[in-house]
Amino acid sequence: MNNKNTDLKIKNLRKAFGKNKVLNGIDFELVEGERVVILGPSGSGKSTFLRCISWMEEPTAGEMYFDGELVTEKNIRRIRRNIGMVFQHFNLISNMTVMENLTLAPVKLKLMKRDEAEKRARELLKHIGLLSKVDAYPASLSGGQKQRVAIVRAMMLSPEVLLFDEPTSALDPESIGDVLSLIRELAERGMTIMIVTHEMSFAKEIATRIVFLDKGKIIEEGTPSEFFTHPKTPRVREFLEKVL
Amino acid sequence: MSDFFSKLGELFSTPEYIDSLLHGFLLTIQISYFALLIGILLGTIIALIDTAKPSKWMAVPKFICRVYVGMIRGTPMALQLFIMFFVIFAVKGFPSIITAIIAFGLNSAAYAAEVIRGGILSVDPGQTEAGLALGLSRWTIFTKIVAPQAIKNIIPALGNEIITVIKETAIVSMVGMYDLNMAAKDIGSGQNMASYIVPMFVAALFYLATIYLIMFIVKRIEKSLRRSDLRTEE
Repeated sequence: MNNKNTDLKIKNLRKAFGKNKVLNGIDFELVEGERVVILGPSGSGKSTFLRCISWMEEPTAGEMYFDGELVTEKNIRRIRRNIGMVFQHFNLISNMTVMENLTLAPVKLKLMKRDEAEKRARELLKHIGLLSKVDAYPASLSGGQKQRVAIVRAMMLSPEVLLFDEPTSALDPESIGDVLSLIRELAERGMTIMIVTHEMSFAKEIATRIVFLDKGKIIEEGTPSEFFTHPKTPRVREFLEKVL
Repeated sequence: MSDFFSKLGELFSTPEYIDSLLHGFLLTIQISYFALLIGILLGTIIALIDTAKPSKWMAVPKFICRVYVGMIRGTPMALQLFIMFFVIFAVKGFPSIITAIIAFGLNSAAYAAEVIRGGILSVDPGQTEAGLALGLSRWTIFTKIVAPQAIKNIIPALGNEIITVIKETAIVSMVGMYDLNMAAKDIGSGQNMASYIVPMFVAALFYLATIYLIMFIVKRIEKSLRRSDLRTEE
């Protein structure tokens, strides 16, 4: 038996934007240490699913439990500290330097003292080879550098789960490798990860589970080897034929 | 042409004329300054209400703001000034400068609100999302992230609004107030210089100098705010 905790439990999650129903009842569980890759055709609701987990989009219906606690509008702010989010377009705060980006939340939320936070930020930046950019503004960084800083920024809060919303889609091919190897490293250290990506080989390599979304529903899930070699549904077979 | 210069000499060598011009100029500046103070303050409040997250508490204030901005922008400034003078503050002995300041302040608020609202909305929503994802409060996100970026977009347009108000105050001469515009007319009239060209030319220079000074200051502020946009390190 495994004695790992269930980080996240989602029941019948629905999200509609006006009349446009994007998520149509998703049931999902995420166990500590899992690395779930979410695949699906465009418009299938992958990003919306991820954004609902961090309440960037407020779900229209359904329940979500984080560490057993029902997530509501009241407690979402506290819960978000444990759900790191990395965006497709990095979203580094453009009026703040790299250091300020990293230390703003931990200091504001009183999780660390300023000098502690700065020390930690320097360590992490050194680790990803960007210590020289500590006082630079985001505008002077390349896409790959921005995304690595964004990942480190999320890590500053030591979240239980890290969500990646197409983290390499806005990057040039050369930077993609840098960002993926940083994600790989976090995975190796046991980080619980959910990731929406179009990098199939990376998905195959990193995932402990693949979830396939179509029209706002999970239509197939399984280990990468099951999923990629013995897809169960015709829809997934069709998808894999196109992308592989 | 020599007549022009002799008139110019006459104007600047007559203490009463200089005194009139300076008095007029002072009134123009006083009305503009306090009106803009009200305008920017009230405009900021309107813009904040307008851009706030929709909720049942905000529905009525949001509606009021929309109607207010619509009414101000949809009617002539001169008419608004008349309404203030001849209807709302038609009280004998009520200081006309206060009436004028309120009229221009309320007018400027609507335009400033549009400028500020546009500035806030032009900030990439991803910036707010970054703050939300980090667990920051709406207040922290606004004060530390959105407002500093919005100000960069607001300053140039707000500079424009400042310039507009200074020039527009010239219509207070329509309700008999002695501003810079009125001073020029008075000095040029029959019982004084009996020539309009020189005093009006000088009044124009006063307006121009003031507005150039403001443009210069706005440019300086803009430049210093653009620091984080530079692609080079400090």
